[in-house]
Amino acid sequence: MRTVFKTLAALAVLGALAGGAVVFGGLYNVSARAGHFPGVPWILHTTFRRSVALRAPDPADTPELTDEMAMLGRNHFENACSQCHAAPGATRDATIRSMLPEPPHIEAAVGSWSPEELWWILHEGVKMSGMPHWPSIRDDDVWPVVAFLVRVQDGMDAQAYGEMVAGDEYCAACHGPGGASDNPHIPRLDILSERYVAMSLRTYREGLRESGIMRHAATEVTAPEGDLAAEYHGEAGGPGLPLPGEVPDLDAAALARTGTREVPSCETCHGGARDEALAPGPRLEGQHAPYLAAQLRLFRDGIRGGGPRWNLMAQAAEHLSDDEILALAAWYAARGGE
Amino acid sequence: MTSATGRRFLCLAAVLLVAGCEGGPQSALAPAGRDASDLARLFWIMLAGAVVLWIALNGLFLFVTRIRPGALSRGWAEGIIIGGGIALPLVVLTALLVYALPLMPAQRAPGDGLTVRVTGEQWWWRVEYRPEGAEDWVTSANEIRLPVGQRTEIELTSGEVIHSFWIPALGGKTDMFPGRTTRMTLLPEEAGIFRGQCAEFCGLSHALMALNAVALEPAEFEAWLAAEAGPATLPRGEGAALFAREGCGACHSVRGTDWAGQVGPDLTHFGSRTSLAAGTLPLTREALVGWIADPGAVKPGAEMPSYGHMTTDELATLSDWLMGLQ
Repeated sequence: MRTVFKTLAALAVLGALAGGAVVFGGLYNVSARAGHFPGVPWILHTTFRRSVALRAPDPADTPELTDEMAMLGRNHFENACSQCHAAPGATRDATIRSMLPEPPHIEAAVGSWSPEELWWILHEGVKMSGMPHWPSIRDDDVWPVVAFLVRVQDGMDAQAYGEMVAGDEYCAACHGPGGASDNPHIPRLDILSERYVAMSLRTYREGLRESGIMRHAATEVTAPEGDLAAEYHGEAGGPGLPLPGEVPDLDAAALARTGTREVPSCETCHGGARDEALAPGPRLEGQHAPYLAAQLRLFRDGIRGGGPRWNLMAQAAEHLSDDEILALAAWYAARGGE
Repeated sequence: MTSATGRRFLCLAAVLLVAGCEGGPQSALAPAGRDASDLARLFWIMLAGAVVLWIALNGLFLFVTRIRPGALSRGWAEGIIIGGGIALPLVVLTALLVYALPLMPAQRAPGDGLTVRVTGEQWWWRVEYRPEGAEDWVTSANEIRLPVGQRTEIELTSGEVIHSFWIPALGGKTDMFPGRTTRMTLLPEEAGIFRGQCAEFCGLSHALMALNAVALEPAEFEAWLAAEAGPATLPRGEGAALFAREGCGACHSVRGTDWAGQVGPDLTHFGSRTSLAAGTLPLTREALVGWIADPGAVKPGAEMPSYGHMTTDELATLSDWLMGLQ
């Protein structure tokens, strides 16, 4: 017995010395040019595939992946992902192709992953591969990119990819010229005050407001917040886009105007007077209903973040039901015509 | 502990206990209302009965173990069992029952006209007044005012969880249930400020859910209610603009303005109240500044969000303005 222990102890010491020699002596070659030992890529890749399959969310919770979502996802892909994975029909540059592991072209990368597996990879990232995780704790704003990737799986070509923009400039690609967005998931900026748009950009830049898409955009664009806000704000009228489904049958006007014993009145802060001294909240009339509903859910769940008063809005939304959120969003979107 | 120190300690504890019962704004043994007087008298009589029973029982115990430790005759033994075990409790308990039972209807006697509806919220009190014949309720909060010498009907209900309404100096306690209305009446007999307390555990800040009950002479009460029913007289100053800018009116009502929120306490005559945050803080500018800046620090779990983003000057200005809402 004693001999066995002694042998094991000796082996442990030798193993530690060998490990130390590799780490401290620089024996392992970290060269990307040298690549992996034979067999290692297979082990890493299989581990990666099985890990994603095990952890992907339940398909029952996957939202409908619409064309509008795909347009938003396409633009985020263009800004944040295409440098490594290249747009459909485009080529990866030589430097990117010299990475280890080499980022696959997007047409190959989408493979036959299910939407849920794609969501998980985007949200969590992949350790030691260079694939970053989603730069926000939000779950919902990953789906637009999944909607885009599903269309790449279906064979989207360069021409279709090139047409999926709302405008020529960086912000306008999603928000439309002057911020007149016609996508229900992308807020209209042409109804917001210059001050509010600048404040929102600042909160995204400083990591105070949650959104993987906007945090990327606000940190990639380096122009001062004020300059961007000067271009993307306004007092446009007209209703916002409606909800895709049915609007719950409840008195949203009464809820918004007087509130209940659990829900504060929305109009006290978001009322139509548009005097910022009297109505401190941003204008909601004419904003797109799906965007408003998503933001209300984020407030209610305590995720959204935002400016110095965001906790007030989180408290205000705390007791809203899903139906109340939909009804309020639809009511405010429709009021843009008044 | 020696037995002598033990005795001294017990005496001290008893003295402190009795001293704690004497007086104070929140004592059932310092009654200032008809119902509380009945209850206090019932308590003392019950206590007397209990003392008699205790002495008799221990006397018998002493007798059989120390004075006559030998075997008792059959007659003595049966006498002790029948007399001390059956006859004595029967007489004492029957007498107490006959005295106490008729007190119960009075605790639920109908009111003279004024109705006060109290709703338990987390953790404060929504208080509404309706004089006899009136249609509308006069809304206030966190303080209940009652006319001396009149029996006031108290309607009790609750928002989310079970609370219990208890002003010990004025009467008994009654539970408040969500979706149900319970009732009681109170008849204050002397003017003064008494303290009430939620008497049913209702969450994180249950211990900080109190209120002052102010008993006023009838004429004074009438004048107060007439003033309370009126709209607010807005004080001058920048406070109103801050109140608007911070959206306070989404949760709080100030009658006579567009601010008509129903989530939090009505603030129409806030400055005329006797406490802040439901009997938790004195109504002073310093306390109010601290409360608005971080209500959760004073009352954990409070629904009111923190306004820590406001500057100290702004908080002071807003507090002054609120204190001016008389």
